[in-house]
Amino acid sequence: MNSDKSAYWNPYLAGFVLGLVLLATFVIMGRGLGASGAMMRTVTYAVDTISPEHVDNNIYFAKYAGGDKNPLSNWLVFEVVGVLLGGLLSGLLAGRLRLQTDKGPRISKRGRWGFAFLGGGLMGFGARLALGCTSGQALSGGATMALGSWAFMFTMFAAAYVVAWFFRKQWL
Amino acid sequence: MSAPFYKYDFFGFETGLLIAFIIGILFGFTLERAGFSSSRKLALQFYFRDMTVLKVMFSAIVTAMIGVLLLNLADILDISKIYLNPTFLGPQIGGGVVMGIGFVIGGYCPGTSLVASAIGKIDGFFYIAGALVGMVVFAEIYPLIADFTQSGGMGDATLGNWLGLKPGIVAFLIIIMALAMFAGSEVLEKRFGGQVAAGGNGALANASEPVEEPAPAE
Amino acid sequence: MQEYTITSGRNMAHIDPTLSIWGWEVPVYLYLGGLVAGVLFFSALYFIRGKADEMPTVVRVTPLLAPILLGLGLFTLFLDLEYKLHVFRFYTNIRLESPMSWGSWTLAAIFPLSLLWAAIHVGKVFPKWRWPFGWMDRMVAIAETYARPIAWSLIVYSVILGIYTGILLSAFNARPIWNTAILGPLFLASGLSTGLALNMLFSKEKNELHLLGKIDVMTIAVEVFLIIHMFMGFLASAEIHIQAAGLFLGGPFTASFWVFVVALGLLVPLLLELLELRGRIAATKIPALLVLAGGFFLRYIIVEAGQVSTWGL
Repeated sequence: MNSDKSAYWNPYLAGFVLGLVLLATFVIMGRGLGASGAMMRTVTYAVDTISPEHVDNNIYFAKYAGGDKNPLSNWLVFEVVGVLLGGLLSGLLAGRLRLQTDKGPRISKRGRWGFAFLGGGLMGFGARLALGCTSGQALSGGATMALGSWAFMFTMFAAAYVVAWFFRKQWL
Repeated sequence: MSAPFYKYDFFGFETGLLIAFIIGILFGFTLERAGFSSSRKLALQFYFRDMTVLKVMFSAIVTAMIGVLLLNLADILDISKIYLNPTFLGPQIGGGVVMGIGFVIGGYCPGTSLVASAIGKIDGFFYIAGALVGMVVFAEIYPLIADFTQSGGMGDATLGNWLGLKPGIVAFLIIIMALAMFAGSEVLEKRFGGQVAAGGNGALANASEPVEEPAPAE
Repeated sequence: MQEYTITSGRNMAHIDPTLSIWGWEVPVYLYLGGLVAGVLFFSALYFIRGKADEMPTVVRVTPLLAPILLGLGLFTLFLDLEYKLHVFRFYTNIRLESPMSWGSWTLAAIFPLSLLWAAIHVGKVFPKWRWPFGWMDRMVAIAETYARPIAWSLIVYSVILGIYTGILLSAFNARPIWNTAILGPLFLASGLSTGLALNMLFSKEKNELHLLGKIDVMTIAVEVFLIIHMFMGFLASAEIHIQAAGLFLGGPFTASFWVFVVALGLLVPLLLELLELRGRIAATKIPALLVLAGGFFLRYIIVEAGQVSTWGL
């Protein structure tokens, strides 16, 4: 594709390939891609290991792991194992595998870690509320033209643009 | 029609998991190649400096959408058997707002945080830890907000039946909108400093000590 | 403690139709046994070939871990025994037809040998090492004069140990998925591969790492070949074996076996090692870690599947 090892793909080409992967998923499985669902199942598995009673007594956890159900025996969980491997292979082949922190020049590493944790927390909460994340709602739901997915996508981007100014120190 | 293959019993649940793994590899590889393993590259989207997120997402949505419609026209793919995200406007708009804020603060979305972590991004690790905690919090307070999570329910609503238009027309409008946004993105990137993040987060430069950039245009 | 009185060969609690006796302990023991066999085999081999100075990790460093890992393995096996105080009974008889008897006697030989072997090398790895008692110095000095015979017996016993971890399972002829002679060589190959991987984790020498990578590529290739043959053997066999293979070909173990054992434990590290050897990607510890994890999953999943696998149709 691109002869320069360190460069990213052209965005339109990457989007086209991503679209083909999504299309293949529709054709083979009759469902879309996802990510946050697998995270939910992982954390449910952890809670289920520590306290199975707690999982059975919480109606939300119980959906994933009530009784004898194994929350990890799931399509999205195996998809995410693949995502981790695919990302690793791409990073290795491009020479991008390295412990590092992404941030703007005006924030400390620790500051960035704190924001990443906080932002992750909001995203984790929001993704459960919105019944999916950028992959499961915006991408997969967007391509099937689901009304709620488009409503989700536009609110998410709108909210991000509205608050972006307040967090410019982290990135610019 | 014989697709989606899984719904027509070409293979079972366990084999489906195996396919999930393979599709996941392709998904993760593409996300990383698109540059989505860098939080800064993702976040610069919100300052009009690097519009990669928008370009990739809409090219992908348009590609998959056209593919689904064409395969359906060719009598290969049965659209009614594809999972359609149900519409609950309340939680989806509410969740959208929370996630939009979380995106700017955290710099990733859940899927991209996974590929970032896979290549050693420390902020990706913290993001995932945060997301897992956020999900536990959600599960714990779910009984209190259960009503809200069901609000604005419209079942299997699509853009087409909401607007009263045929799917083909809606797809056409989405393509026009995507092309307009692509054109707009190119203009914005030229105006606001273009590809600053692309080089800064590649293998050559250390992303934690990026090169000096011009002050934000305000 | 409960005892079962068995009056019929069918419908025995915990045994028929499906076995549900072995948890994590047995796979951990089989895994550590194979790992130690791999470590000791390559250590003794390269010692005999006079490569102690060129390959210090393989010959001297990781063997120091062998008695510890073997001790841990034996401890988990001990945890699994229902009648812990009866352990001595393994050593009151020799039964050539029983793999458990073979195993007990092999362990009785290789464990002290691995201790001696570690004692010989510990002083070279840690130059400041001093034995607390004079008689220990003298013993190690005597052992050093017999280093070559010890190395030869380690090679023999480590191969037996590696094969035994698989034969232990194949001797259960009532468990079709275990009842294949390929498990012996497969577990030996996997043990050698995990042993190499442990060396790759610790080694800092470029030449040593390069050689380890090359051998590991071959070992993994052998493993893949054996796994393919195992399934061809099952599918060409009686109905009962075809059903057993079905556990991995569409059945409940399909995804976990092919994803975690074959893909992540064998094919991905094979690919990464090949790319590393050709200088296409930077050398990392990732393939070694994947091989070590995959070796455990192989044993865990085979032990689990074997307990589900049954002659009852």
